Amino acid sequence: MKEWRGNTVNMVRRIVLLFGVVFMACLTRCDNHKTRIIPVEDFFSEPEKTNFKISPNGKYIAYLSTYAGQKNIFVLEAGKESGEQRITSETELGIQSYFWANDSELIFTKDRKNDSLQVFAVNRATLAVRHLMPAASVKLRWIPPSKVINNGFLISLNERDSSVFDVYRLRTDACKKELVAKNPGNIIKWFADLDGQLRLALASDSVKETVLYRDSEKEAFRPVMSNSFRNSILPIGFSGENRSHVFALSNINRDKLALVEIDMNTGKEVRMIYSHPDVDMDNGGYSSDRGEMSYATYATWKQQRHFLNKQTERVYRAISEKLNGYEVSILDRDTARTRFIVRSYTDKDPGATYYYDITADQLIKLADNSPALKDCLLAEMTPITYRSRDGRQIQGYLTMPVKSKGKKTPVIVYPHNGPSGRNQWGFNPEVQFFANRGFAVFQMNFRGSTGYGKEFWSAGFKEWGGKIQDDITDGVRWLIEEGVVDSSRIGIYGAGFGGYAALHGACFNSDLYACAASYSGFANLFTYLKEIPPHLKPYLQMYYEIIGNPESEPDLIKAMSPVFHTDNINIPVFIAQGGKDSWSTVNETNQFVQKLKKRKIPITYILREEEGRYFRDEENRILFYRELGAFFDKYLK
Amino acid sequence: MTHRRNTYRVTYVLVSAFIVVGIASFVLAIILARDLTVTYVENEFASRKVEVLEYNIGPFNDFFQNRIPEISFYQGYLDSAGVASYADSVLQTYPFVERIVFYDVALSNSESVDYGFSANNLVVYPKGIYQFSQPNQTGQPSSTANHSGQLPLSLSDDFNNMAVKFAAFIERVDTTKALRDEDIFKVFYAVTPGKISYMNIPRRDDLKAYKELMYGKHLHDAVYEQDIFTYFINPNKLSLNNTVPELYQHIQIQPLVYESIDTDPDLLTTETPLPGALADYKIYFSSSRSFLLTEINRRFLPVLAGVVAIYLLLAIIAYLIYRNLYVNERMFKLQYDFINNLTHEFKTPVSVIKIAGNNIKSAKQLSDKERVHYGKILDEEADKLNNLMNTLLSFTQIENKSIKIKREEVDLHEFCDKVLAASKIKYGDLIIQCQVDANRALYIDPVLLGSIFQNLIDNAYKYSKPDNKVLDIYITQTKKQVTMRFADKGIGIAKKELAHIFKKFYRVQNQYNQQGSVGLGLAFCKELVNFMGGEIRVESELDKGTTFIIVFPVD
Repeated sequence: MKEWRGNTVNMVRRIVLLFGVVFMACLTRCDNHKTRIIPVEDFFSEPEKTNFKISPNGKYIAYLSTYAGQKNIFVLEAGKESGEQRITSETELGIQSYFWANDSELIFTKDRKNDSLQVFAVNRATLAVRHLMPAASVKLRWIPPSKVINNGFLISLNERDSSVFDVYRLRTDACKKELVAKNPGNIIKWFADLDGQLRLALASDSVKETVLYRDSEKEAFRPVMSNSFRNSILPIGFSGENRSHVFALSNINRDKLALVEIDMNTGKEVRMIYSHPDVDMDNGGYSSDRGEMSYATYATWKQQRHFLNKQTERVYRAISEKLNGYEVSILDRDTARTRFIVRSYTDKDPGATYYYDITADQLIKLADNSPALKDCLLAEMTPITYRSRDGRQIQGYLTMPVKSKGKKTPVIVYPHNGPSGRNQWGFNPEVQFFANRGFAVFQMNFRGSTGYGKEFWSAGFKEWGGKIQDDITDGVRWLIEEGVVDSSRIGIYGAGFGGYAALHGACFNSDLYACAASYSGFANLFTYLKEIPPHLKPYLQMYYEIIGNPESEPDLIKAMSPVFHTDNINIPVFIAQGGKDSWSTVNETNQFVQKLKKRKIPITYILREEEGRYFRDEENRILFYRELGAFFDKYLK
Repeated sequence: MTHRRNTYRVTYVLVSAFIVVGIASFVLAIILARDLTVTYVENEFASRKVEVLEYNIGPFNDFFQNRIPEISFYQGYLDSAGVASYADSVLQTYPFVERIVFYDVALSNSESVDYGFSANNLVVYPKGIYQFSQPNQTGQPSSTANHSGQLPLSLSDDFNNMAVKFAAFIERVDTTKALRDEDIFKVFYAVTPGKISYMNIPRRDDLKAYKELMYGKHLHDAVYEQDIFTYFINPNKLSLNNTVPELYQHIQIQPLVYESIDTDPDLLTTETPLPGALADYKIYFSSSRSFLLTEINRRFLPVLAGVVAIYLLLAIIAYLIYRNLYVNERMFKLQYDFINNLTHEFKTPVSVIKIAGNNIKSAKQLSDKERVHYGKILDEEADKLNNLMNTLLSFTQIENKSIKIKREEVDLHEFCDKVLAASKIKYGDLIIQCQVDANRALYIDPVLLGSIFQNLIDNAYKYSKPDNKVLDIYITQTKKQVTMRFADKGIGIAKKELAHIFKKFYRVQNQYNQQGSVGLGLAFCKELVNFMGGEIRVESELDKGTTFIIVFPVD
């Protein structure tokens, strides 16, 4: 009897202890089976370690991490879990970008201050820093592939004219730059071949795109093919087999972008490598060191790969086995292709970055992508399809909050920016942020989205305030009919074009939405169009074709600009605006807000004078999301 | 003073003083109220013009604050086609806008432009000028276009004014900072009486570009567009609405310098100037004194009613206080009588006891007869005193409701028999006949009921002539109630006394109650009957007899 009692006391003690531990765990970290309101910071703060890159010989892994409040380069020996070494000591301006020049040296640029740019090289072992390019108030754009060939690498700078980028070769031995090609003003992209020779360029007057080619750097570029902006040829890189052959994505003579090989001497497509009947091919799978396509990639409801190379397929298969249940992608690899930097993710897991050695079959976690969200129970993103009123099939995603079963859930309609571009399946912190706060999130790839072929894309032309908005509305109506959401608690939120759609919805669909939030949304399309300087006439032409001509059709633009229709708004509105956003002006937004205020419409207005189109400062971003969350909590719950 | 404090006070002077002061203050209040109303109305006449002003310039403010800045939304893209619909809607909505001149302005660094306003490399020139005016008789807005380089002087003035201001602004503007509100008003608006010019506010990046144009830093030939509008305002067309018709007889829009030549001294006037582009006009208000008098009276009426009501209320309260005082006085008098009676009642037996006592004390020897005689006197007088005090005590108890009813089943036959037997002993010469016509028992307190019977029997005995002491008790029962009648053939009660006999301390003045009566017996009966939920009433005829009727409900 006594023994028995002693046992119980022990057990009780143990249980109490266990509860205590679990309770503490709940306080500090998410428990796997509990949902709680996760703080805003955990969704939107930047990860500690980023930009993992492996050295060409595969022996070292470099990454950016914070030292003295700034980003600095750290190097870790591959295959080890600790023992990293910081090789830069920047305390004023952090590292903006870097790459391995060779196995011992890394080239980097710092964050720009006062428009001043400098390029440096640092030795991994001695930590000696060399100044490759003196400070100049220019902007730099890297030219792929970013690697040092024959002691030189290509960069483009807008030194001569602030609006055009010329190409220079920066010599790492002489610390000098030499002009390689002068931009006549219309070249928007340059490509180098496997030997680092600049031989391909993409010119655009935006209505028409032209591919320029030359056999060697000694010759002049000559136009090979050109096409209207409604079609696309997107060069990926030179083929290793044939000097004049180039891999590209093209939708000339077809609706969907296909992966093709083009002979630049003739401009003819020699081979169609892979295409998909429903969606465009995406950029990816090109290895710049060997000049070959290892796979073709495309996004149906999620990102897919079609392997073209047995070795790559084997690597992916091996990694997938190790990271079962996760989507994986290889971020970087050594030249021998035995060591890789791998990223994993799912829709409800931000995943992690790993180092993988295929010969040793060794997988080491380098960093969690969002450590604060580790083990949190996040919401699942489900692909959905519906038909618009004119019968077009629209794809989208619905993220229902965890524990929403049987309840009518409030929903946030979240149209994407663009309208070019599309929503993808994967981990999206904004979506998870809303879902965690009990809202379903509805995203849709309305017409005008890219990725579904040029017909679908151009169907959105001049329909910004028309059929695109109808597609969004149709999606919401479909969602209501599905019966899982509460039709009286639907909010709409978006950034840029999405914000425009939200304001448009507030103006013309007040009965459908309970509230609307715009993050740098285009309140006035006149202002949006004004962004293009008048001397870029072709550009203007393209925008006029996509949106509408403000000179000849001012009524069309007026009809679809929310700033003219504030009188129709009678739901609460949230507006966030950066003072330096050139697509909308503070004056106008102020007027917009004042008009709503006068009409006693509840309005939350966040104006950050120092910010541009989107808030970059982490503090401002977190404030924005906190206010946004509070806004939806107030009006959708 | 101590002497005065306890004397009866005469209040006639006080009452009349009260009435005089009351009436005087009433009259004063009315005069004051009237004066205040007059001042109030006159003040309102001077101050509520702001209300009229705000109402009437509402459309102008709406035009100025919403429709003019709306131009900026078009970002300079307005041209002849787009502007027509804008101008149409403005002209139709706002009749006080007489004419709109639209300058489709271009800013360029081109050297080939040979007209317009130029500052350094920047040329500001109108590509086209369009005029829109109020619809004429045919109902169509008339518009004229002017594309020639040479401007008529009347138009070039406004354009140049705006262009110079704008160029000077571009020269000094700091494009890294946001536009300040005062800059916006100084540069992009030009407001003079009768005229508003407005230029659309460019984006910050545009200002940067304009600055580059001005200093020749812009690499390309570029033409940027701005829109300038000049609105001609006619304040006379402002629709005037008298929102305070009770105060203002006439309102008019008049030039700022207008003075009325009306010499009528009874005409009150006031005015308020119009703001902004309407500033050379004012709203002129006038009312005749008699018109205002109507308004004063209209407002004074409810005040008057209020004052009268308050004074009426005061008067009613004063009357009620007076009435209470009067009743209290009578009560006081009644109690005073009672004490008198009571003293008298106590005095008689006490003096008899005293005499008997004295006699016993002074007698040397008492015979048996004397002893019995004095003993009897002492015993009787002591009984009298005891009775008197018992009655007083029970009466106080019942008045304070401090006794409790102990109800039980009482068989009326049995109860009457007992009472009769007891009365026979007490009053040998009283002939009581009792007839009970009830078969059910009554649920009642027998002690209290006994008191009632005893009192009524006592009364019958007391107020009957010695040769005719007769009492008939007759009890009947119906479904709902039991009725008890006590009929005697005594002296009866006069009609005018009937109303008072149940009052405390009230005694009918006659020879029968000179001894041992305080005037409480009937009052006590009534209290008891009421206390048990019954009713008592009396029927009587002088010299013939009295009948008391008691009714108890049967629950």
